[in-house]
Amino acid sequence: MSTNEHIHKQKLTDPPKTVKFKIQRREKEGADSHWETFEVAYRRNMNVISALMEIRKNPVTTDGKETTPPVWDMSCLEQVCGICTMVINGRVRQSCSALIDDLLVATGGNTVTLQPMTKFPNVRDLKVDRTRMFEHLKQVNAWIDLDGSYDLGPGPHISSEVAHERYVYSRCMTCGCCLEACPQYSENQYIGPQAIAQARLFNMHPVGKTEMDERLNGLMEENGIANCGNAQNCLQVCPMSIPLPRAIYETNRDITVNSLFGWLKR
Amino acid sequence: MAIKFSTTFLLRKLHQVTGIVPLGMFYFVHIYTNVTAMNGPKVFNDHVQDIHDIPFLLFIEVFGIFLPLAYHSIYGVLISGEAKVNVLSYPYARNWFYLFQRITGGFLFFFLLFHLLNFRFGLIPGLNMTPVAGHAQEAFSIVSTEFQKGWIVVVYILGVLATAWHLGYGFFLFVVDWGFVISEKAQKLTIKAALVLALLLGLVGVNAVFAFVRPCGLLPQSLCESSHVKRTPTAPARF
Ligand code: HEM
Repeated sequence: MSTNEHIHKQKLTDPPKTVKFKIQRREKEGADSHWETFEVAYRRNMNVISALMEIRKNPVTTDGKETTPPVWDMSCLEQVCGICTMVINGRVRQSCSALIDDLLVATGGNTVTLQPMTKFPNVRDLKVDRTRMFEHLKQVNAWIDLDGSYDLGPGPHISSEVAHERYVYSRCMTCGCCLEACPQYSENQYIGPQAIAQARLFNMHPVGKTEMDERLNGLMEENGIANCGNAQNCLQVCPMSIPLPRAIYETNRDITVNSLFGWLKR
Repeated sequence: MAIKFSTTFLLRKLHQVTGIVPLGMFYFVHIYTNVTAMNGPKVFNDHVQDIHDIPFLLFIEVFGIFLPLAYHSIYGVLISGEAKVNVLSYPYARNWFYLFQRITGGFLFFFLLFHLLNFRFGLIPGLNMTPVAGHAQEAFSIVSTEFQKGWIVVVYILGVLATAWHLGYGFFLFVVDWGFVISEKAQKLTIKAALVLALLLGLVGVNAVFAFVRPCGLLPQSLCESSHVKRTPTAPARF
């Protein structure tokens, strides 16, 4: 499974001299948003972040208006931290791995549109506050309680199949793509695929399993798993190729067997 | 640890179950009755009569059909209101199917209201005013008279197609929502099966609509004639 199926590394045979960046800007949370367009000289192997850095050096719009440098988040620059996620040409993805050649080949033009994710509070320009994803992890107890005052010895063995499957879920970088693309997700309405897959990660662990009821209870709250509408956009946009619908359906089964019909064996 | 269900969770589960168990099951029975119209008025009316002769019919109708339908349809409209449709930005097949489920549901909301008032109750002024309930032997003529209006036939064809999609794809939604089907491979297979089911329900349903306009519907009459004649040799003239 590759984590970069959405990156095609296509090359423009006849690149434009300049590339336009249409950026949705907002001064602060709650303020009205507006658009500003910038023009940057084309360079080989440019990506959205390097273009934004170029704009930051000289923040003048195509109308010649001097403006503030656009604000965005970035850290690892290799698509493992997830913080530079934004909506690029209408589709959510990490800006560090969004190559300009790819984007222009796909649209056939010379303009790239940048917007902040719409499902999170917009702090400023392209920067959003993703705190609620951490709240979701708390709601589903996405950890294993293991605290002893003495040595507990080696942990239980895990079969390589389970370890493999868990590894895939463990790659989640809490970037928010799945929530942004989910037509059912909005604050307080649905917890979204990210937290469900993390609950699954810990429910699959032999020790974590002992706290499965707690996690399933978290997932059966008002905003829980039953709000999933099976549109499965999460599967398409996840940059880590995590099989999010699978995590949801495994958990649906756990809930059916354990929570809905559990009384039949108690 | 004690298991805690939230209201939303239980309402969703109930919505998913009502779609399949009372409503989906009822729909199979319903379409079967309608398909018998291919073999002419008498066969159809007799099948309607058989339904009228079911013991505890009113009880079954209220608790097996009306209440589940009212619940599923009203809650379904509420669920649809939550959708932040984004098929243009994310044009994937399953995202479109998600939208179709809501569009067909919304259409069915109005269609079923119309359909019930039209035939079950006979309460729409200007259209049929004889309820089929209690008039089994007039069932065929009530429907075929109504179907002389072109627009009514169009409305019913749309209703049949919307139901075919909604129930067919709903079958896939149900098996994933309850954790029967899990892997991507199993999902692909189930979606194929669901779409085949939708196609069959659609074809059979549309033909049943035409069976009230023309014997045997759109199929060659020889297909229906022989079996019908064999079973009821003294059948009266059809129209
Ligand atoms: C009359 C108006 C109706 C409306 C507004 C409606 C609406 C909906 C909606 C929005 C869903 C998707 C729920 C979700 O994704 O969470 C759904 C699912 C479903 N509906 Fe309906 N529906 C209606 C009628 C029917 C009828 C008549 C049937 C049966 C013939 C039916 C069978 C189903 C099934 C089987 C599902 C899948 C359940 C699941 O999600 O697990 N619906 N409906």
